[in-house]
Amino acid sequence: MAVRSIGEYKFPSRSRQELYGDDQLVHLWWKGNLWFCAAACFRAPKAMSWNDFVAGMVNPLFSCDPDFDAATTTFTWTVDDKPVSPAGDESLEALGVGHKSLITCVAA
Amino acid sequence: MAAPRKLSMKQRYAALTRDLDWDLSYVDEDTAYPYTSFEGIKIHDWSKWEDPFRLTIDAYMKYQAEKDKRLYAVLDSFAQGQGHLQLTDPSYLNAMKLFLQGVTPLEYQAHRNFAYLARFLNGPGPRFAALCQSQDELRHAQTEIHTLSNYNKYYQGFHSWNHQHDRVWYLSVPKSYFDDAVTAGPFEFLIAIGFSFEYLLTNLLFVPFMSGASFNGDLPTMTFGFSAQSDESRHMTLGLEAIKFMLEQDPDNVPIVQAWIDKWFWRGYRLLALVSQMLDYMLPRKVMSWKEAFELYFEEQMLGGLFPDLAYYGITPPRHVEHAIAEKEVLSHQVYWTLYQFSFAAGFTTTVPSEDAQKWLAEQYPQTFEKLYKPLWDKASAVVDNGGRYFYQGLPQLCQVCQVPMLFTEPGDPTTICQRHTEFEGERYDFCSDGCQWIFEREPEKYVQAWLPVHQIYQGNCGGPTVPDVLAWYKLQPGDNGEIAGNVEQTAWEAWHATSSAEEQAPAPVAGN
Repeated sequence: MAVRSIGEYKFPSRSRQELYGDDQLVHLWWKGNLWFCAAACFRAPKAMSWNDFVAGMVNPLFSCDPDFDAATTTFTWTVDDKPVSPAGDESLEALGVGHKSLITCVAA
Repeated sequence: MAAPRKLSMKQRYAALTRDLDWDLSYVDEDTAYPYTSFEGIKIHDWSKWEDPFRLTIDAYMKYQAEKDKRLYAVLDSFAQGQGHLQLTDPSYLNAMKLFLQGVTPLEYQAHRNFAYLARFLNGPGPRFAALCQSQDELRHAQTEIHTLSNYNKYYQGFHSWNHQHDRVWYLSVPKSYFDDAVTAGPFEFLIAIGFSFEYLLTNLLFVPFMSGASFNGDLPTMTFGFSAQSDESRHMTLGLEAIKFMLEQDPDNVPIVQAWIDKWFWRGYRLLALVSQMLDYMLPRKVMSWKEAFELYFEEQMLGGLFPDLAYYGITPPRHVEHAIAEKEVLSHQVYWTLYQFSFAAGFTTTVPSEDAQKWLAEQYPQTFEKLYKPLWDKASAVVDNGGRYFYQGLPQLCQVCQVPMLFTEPGDPTTICQRHTEFEGERYDFCSDGCQWIFEREPEKYVQAWLPVHQIYQGNCGGPTVPDVLAWYKLQPGDNGEIAGNVEQTAWEAWHATSSAEEQAPAPVAGN
């Protein structure tokens, strides 16, 4: 159903990808860990490698959890519900991460 | 010349309200009232609008002036007598900061839009009712500001509420709610604000703040509450009259009104998430739990009382209401847990609930608190014991519609965050619930424009890329935000009370001197 309005009602998304240049918004959700009240939202370059993403975004956030240990906690990953096995140099884009994608991890 | 005849109330009402209307001769009705047809609502006879109060402008002004006089007398004596020292605890004021930042600007917005209705509704009856409500809302905004301004002299977090309403992340929840309503047509606004906000949900919004004030020594806010109460009951009656009027005018209006009830119940309910945590966590002396308030004011009074009446018109209880009912066991805990970890960026402070408070929570929520939330608070306490304080190191994913961080859990599974997504014109949008997703899918063109605070920060529109940049842009000052323990407000409070107890021990002046 369309908006009922007094004139033409057409506006661009206020969060469309082009507003972020070569970057995009990426959501990161540690499923099943309620220590984090909600999934996180990051602005990350599409070409960012998985390693850089983990070192620069995942680990600093997850380190707020005193039970997390970057060296020993292992996860299984999905991108938008599709299982992935990310390798170190692979870019987020190559992994199938799009604008506002949801990267989910579950502690093994 | 004979003395003028004194008119009865009914005659005065007719003379001062409906008799001041006239038939248009220079322009046709559609030109004079161009906004009452595009929503699809059919009105055949505007004179059928019933005015339950039969208020006239002279009587209205007289009542309001009397109420103002009483309120301002209380405010003066409270200020002169250092009444703020009688509060249960300065942390109580977090509830009032949230009220001033979140609700007072809505009163002003309501004032503006009811003024618009007072011009643009076709009938003189509803126009006059809207005019009174418009003035009420302005008076509420002003008296709330004056009531709470006394605290601004002594406490943090009261200085930039209006600036913050337009900028701070959690305040985008009430702001976007009202923006959604005022950008709708006049009839949808009447359902959104007049009916859903002022009737369906008002006892869950307004009463908890005012009862919280009375339980926690905040005489000014309590007096404001009394001063606004008679206005609020008039607004409730107006909201109910608005919906009945629309439903009685044409059967084609029923499905349109039903969809608005469905939308605005869920929009309002999501806004009340902020009130739920206030009741259960922010008040040092508790009034009632969110669960209890929801059962009494919503399930009993609305689902049990109002909706059976509306069934006569073919109206059913709001869509997704079953999710709201199921959530009453978990809602406030999830929301405060979120505010706890993000209060570094809020205009109020948070802390781990005390032992007594946790005991009360466990009693109120025997199914959920000890099992799901106490372990989290124990872990947060351990962080504090080790010299730290848990704050979320990042920004949260937000719901595109309600703009609350996506903290709510799946219906029936309180351990899994609810994630919903819809693709519209090639872009993905995220939602916290079936309710918000449904609202988006009804009118995606409206919600793609949402000013989501997290996305705006990432676009560089909020003062700069770092947290301190954003906090400066929010005009947060040290002590406004973060942890309660050790906050400047707590320190000052302890110092004041140390002084006043010393004074109490000093010899009292002899009576009669």
